[in-house]
Amino acid sequence: MMAYTLRRLLQMIPLLFGISIVLFAVIQAAPGGPEGALLESGRFIDPAVIDAYRERLGVDRPIHIQYFRWLTAAVSGDLGTSFSTTRPVAEMIAERLPATLGLMGSAFVLAAVVSILLGVVSALRQYSWFDHLGTGLSFVGIAMPVFWLALILQLVFGVWLGWLPIAGTETVGDSSLGDRLAHLVLPTVVLSFNYIAGWSRYLRSSMLGVLRADYVRTARAKGLPERRVVGVHALRNALIPLLSIMALNLSSLFSGAVITETVFAWPGIGRMFVQGMFARDYPLLMGILMLGSLMVIIFNLVADLLYGYLDPRIRYD
Amino acid sequence: MNKNKNTFACLSSLAAASLLAGCGPADDRVTADAGRRILRVAYEREIDVLNAYTSQNLVDIQFSMVEGLVTTNDQNTYIPVLAKRIPTEANGLIVHNDDGSIEMTWELQDNVRWHDGELFTSEDVCFTWRFVSSPGSQTYNRDQYLGIQDCLMPDEHTVVFRWNGVYGYYASIFEAILPEHVLGGMTTEEIVNYTPYNRGDEMVGTGPFRFAEWKSGEYIRVTRNDSYWRGTNLPAVDEIVWSFIPDNNTRLNAMKTGRYHFARIEPTQVAEAEGIEGFEVHRVSSNSFMHLDLSLNTERSRFLFGDPAARRAMFHGIDRTSIAEQLMEGTVKLANSPINPSSPYHNPDIAQPEYDPDRARRMLDDLDWLVGSDGVRSKDGRRFSFVMLNRAGQSDRIALAQVIQAQLKAIGIEVSFETLESAAWTSRWRNGDWEAMVSAWFLSADPSITGQYLCNGPNNMTGMCDPELDELLLGSDRALDFETRKRYLDLAQVRLAETSAMLPIYYNVIPEVVSQRISNYRGSGTNFGSFWNLYEWALEP
Repeated sequence: MMAYTLRRLLQMIPLLFGISIVLFAVIQAAPGGPEGALLESGRFIDPAVIDAYRERLGVDRPIHIQYFRWLTAAVSGDLGTSFSTTRPVAEMIAERLPATLGLMGSAFVLAAVVSILLGVVSALRQYSWFDHLGTGLSFVGIAMPVFWLALILQLVFGVWLGWLPIAGTETVGDSSLGDRLAHLVLPTVVLSFNYIAGWSRYLRSSMLGVLRADYVRTARAKGLPERRVVGVHALRNALIPLLSIMALNLSSLFSGAVITETVFAWPGIGRMFVQGMFARDYPLLMGILMLGSLMVIIFNLVADLLYGYLDPRIRYD
Repeated sequence: MNKNKNTFACLSSLAAASLLAGCGPADDRVTADAGRRILRVAYEREIDVLNAYTSQNLVDIQFSMVEGLVTTNDQNTYIPVLAKRIPTEANGLIVHNDDGSIEMTWELQDNVRWHDGELFTSEDVCFTWRFVSSPGSQTYNRDQYLGIQDCLMPDEHTVVFRWNGVYGYYASIFEAILPEHVLGGMTTEEIVNYTPYNRGDEMVGTGPFRFAEWKSGEYIRVTRNDSYWRGTNLPAVDEIVWSFIPDNNTRLNAMKTGRYHFARIEPTQVAEAEGIEGFEVHRVSSNSFMHLDLSLNTERSRFLFGDPAARRAMFHGIDRTSIAEQLMEGTVKLANSPINPSSPYHNPDIAQPEYDPDRARRMLDDLDWLVGSDGVRSKDGRRFSFVMLNRAGQSDRIALAQVIQAQLKAIGIEVSFETLESAAWTSRWRNGDWEAMVSAWFLSADPSITGQYLCNGPNNMTGMCDPELDELLLGSDRALDFETRKRYLDLAQVRLAETSAMLPIYYNVIPEVVSQRISNYRGSGTNFGSFWNLYEWALEP
């Protein structure tokens, strides 16, 4: 497995190189340019200022020269300087990453715990009222737009009940752990909602298949307690396909955080990406997208490794 | 099972570790709320940099820390801040030289210190001029500083600008002064990129508040300047926190939670916000006016809109009153000129075309724009049909465009839409590759509209050109006294309406939700915003 892992890690290098070319071209192909930020406010602008601005940023050069400059800097660890904030992109990403990882991590844990509980109980009590309720809620969860759910939860828990804060990661002046956790609740629930819906349905169907398998019948015939039959023999096997999906979904959690972070004013990477997109902040966009690409590749690798770890039938050459 | 347990333990640990990364020890600069008068603002965006000249956003946060020679008040008028008074010919501080140049003397406040204790002097003013006027300063109105040929310093608290001619907007510049003792000795590019100033670590101003903290993506915090030059009793607030809440709905919900004292919202949210207990909604008339622009830059648009009579006929087909009353729910005022009614330069006696679709039809018939079998007018075999360029996400402008589309259809004019994302829209707009659009300019308190409506004005995007209007606009820019300038601008506003260069629709409003605990709030719709007098805001218990 070690050789396989090393080979996959080495394959990442040309893959990331190819991705960087595509991303750079796509970003530059979008109409407009960073000078749009100067005009956004609707103020009168001296046209000479716009030309000087483009020249200073280097966006008046041919695209291949811009890419080469970016690439040579990037391989030495310099992701460039943000057009809008004049700060190093790597520094900006490092500053925002903990907030995004914190949100992703908590959403992942919540989604995993709840979906496993829902999936197992629904399978064990197939066609019961609980199963029907779970099915209905799953469809709602999958169909409901994230921003809409976010606004509903804000209204109910933030405005009407006044239990939870609805924006940011902390109350300035009260940076206690309790305050931070309170700020985390609503974005976590919103970000995990879709995944709970999908994963619980997936596990339910997986469990239903496993519960009818011969080895489960054998386990029951041996007189093992039902808890052990379900928990050890059935759930372990039913979880195998779900875990690989979870690992793959980690990367989509990263991209899914864009809307959640914007609505909840969460200072993460996703919101910074939206700002960078409107400002045509090419270095910032490249930095974030390359990080996202790297995460997708790594999570894919994790999924593959996890699959082999959990399923003894899979061997890596 | 053990393996699964381990897997989950790992994932949970990862999540917990990530969570704890965001739950580290509190920054020791974060102050306790107890007993402090902390003004909390739900702010609509995160700004880019703190340098008021290189920021590409509106810089109202910066003006809590930085001051200029002048600012604008709620009367849309420039008032002195770091200058003792604004020079005029009447007060003898403007002198005309024989060679046509002008010497303008600014007397500076003499008891002002920067936040780090350094004395504010004329050297800072001249340094600011050198920076802003240098190529690459990235200042949006850099061209307005280029008329200054020299900056003289007769003493520590007097500055004399030598201008190469007469520029009516002279009192509208130097809205911020940069600290020479911090930024001096650097090149222009170094100043533009100087992170310690841009992000706050070395950011010093003379304003009522000092920079304290900028938490990326979340908030900017400033604290009271105990040595403020206006008096030790000012400012009346200990601390201000601007929390960045970009989503309009979240911002309104945030105000409803009662955790914030101030926010700007959308006009369509006014009715909902008016029900929030303990708050008032102020509809601040903005120096921004919504209007319909018609371009003469393409062959087809010249054919359609080249005749002022055709433009005027079109304008008679647009019901501006119903737009203001119904679409905007009565939150806005009809516009008749680019210059806001709150400005002393506004001319109230200008009539824009009344909504009269029958008259519009007759006028178009008279111009040989005849209705065809498909209900669309045509002339010389070409249909009266054009594309309106919309900017995605600007829901108010798109809704307005849709109303105009429907109203023009009723008089036989076909309008289709092309909607582009912001940066793409801007690119097309500046390239002149468009036919019509709903647009808005954000003007400063200075009433000059020359750049926009002069035939070769740098911001004339429509290609409209009228020599008579040019004379009036240039005359207004050459006038230094109020009466002369107003006379020119009154006539210019009339001429602008006569030529039907564009159709003003309504003056934008900026609804501001303000806690009843705040006193001395005086909303301003200029590009300085309502924070122009933060030094006297108070927060009642």
